[in-house]
Amino acid sequence: MFDLRGLLILAIFLATLLAYAAYGRRRTTVFRKLRGFEELGRSIERAVEAGERVHLSLGTGSVIGSDSGPALAGLAVLSRMAMATSMSDKPSVITAGDGAMMVLSQDSLRTGYQQVGESTRFQLTAGRMLGPTPFSYVAGLPAVLGGEDVTVHVMIGSFGAEAALAADFGERKGIFVLAGTDDVQAQALLYAIASYPLIGEEVFAGGAYLNAGPLHHASLSTQDLVRFLIVAAILVGTLMRTFGVGL
Amino acid sequence: MKLGAYMIWAAVAVAAGAIVLLGYFTNLDVIIGLRLVWLVLLRWAILLAAGGLGIGLVNLASVHLAKVSEQEPGWPYSGVLIVFFTFTLALGLFFGPDSPWTLFVFRFIHLPLESSLMALLAVALVVAGVRLAGRRRDLLSLVFVLTAILILLGTGPWLIGSESVTHERILWVRNWVVQVAAAGGARGILLGVAIGGIVTGLRVLVAADRPYGN
Repeated sequence: MFDLRGLLILAIFLATLLAYAAYGRRRTTVFRKLRGFEELGRSIERAVEAGERVHLSLGTGSVIGSDSGPALAGLAVLSRMAMATSMSDKPSVITAGDGAMMVLSQDSLRTGYQQVGESTRFQLTAGRMLGPTPFSYVAGLPAVLGGEDVTVHVMIGSFGAEAALAADFGERKGIFVLAGTDDVQAQALLYAIASYPLIGEEVFAGGAYLNAGPLHHASLSTQDLVRFLIVAAILVGTLMRTFGVGL
Repeated sequence: MKLGAYMIWAAVAVAAGAIVLLGYFTNLDVIIGLRLVWLVLLRWAILLAAGGLGIGLVNLASVHLAKVSEQEPGWPYSGVLIVFFTFTLALGLFFGPDSPWTLFVFRFIHLPLESSLMALLAVALVVAGVRLAGRRRDLLSLVFVLTAILILLGTGPWLIGSESVTHERILWVRNWVVQVAAAGGARGILLGVAIGGIVTGLRVLVAADRPYGN
């Protein structure tokens, strides 16, 4: 009737997240260096100064599917990005492969501009759907990257193999490319192609590295703690199996 | 006023998220009426996603129409897109999505184009592999390139020497790398991604992240 174990794990996750958020207000969280996010800040500054455009790709996943997670992390990056580029002559462009995700990107962009008092800079066409299928989405990317003075190409969302082409279009232009996805095989492709690939859970870390709020910092601490517990459980289980101890 | 509106959106999102999530962990029939709410919410989500697709297509057309009318760089491509967008839409609306005409477009135009892009991926990867060796000269990149070469050598037949001892040894190493090292690494990465996904979902659920805006 009730999956108590599942609910318990979820409750522990939530409690840890909130506890870290409360604790984090009293101390500074130190993160390991992630070259991609460090360089992203500098690249955005350069783009704003040079009057060039920043592009964020939210991938080809849908809002209602299980692949929405990375795109939601991308939206957290978007709100910070909107604030950072609010003074730019050319507003950021956000593309997605899903219509609902595009609507969310427009809302996040509008909120980002509102937070820095630049609501008038928001343009509805800054959030776009390029194509409803993975490869039609990728086919639309060169026009955005090539025709709109984009010099910062950030990909944080759910991608499959098409991620390699999406990153390659940016690399061929010689612009800054930061790319991450939740798909393991696509991550391997991005490692080979993108200048700044995001591996594993790094795709979810953007909000924390760009100071999107205390809960983003708490998220990383929670992830570390839970991962440590899972690794410990795997090791203990392996040892118990090795020595013939039943669970 | 603004604070009130934001609280309403957040409350609706949190309540809907909590009910749908609860449906995965409990048998909602025990709580009278909640199963019905759960089903209604899921149906609404599907309807909204379909509505989102419609809005996305309107957005796609309007962006490219603006490019054509203002003759921005690359506007001829936008013109081609508008023409074929209208043509495909008309085919679907007049003859239906299962008609031979619509299927012809998908089978003989859309599918080959997507397959061609997939083929382009192989070329892009080879070029990227060569670039990686020159661009990022560290131990991890070296291991990455060497592993890729090893897997390629161990996966396909050789022009000569496919029966040799060297080929058999490479095949053995390739299988070990794929079944032990790569599988272990992939599971580790998946674990990290899964935990990251859960925490991201929880942030939306407690309204810390509000992608629906303020």
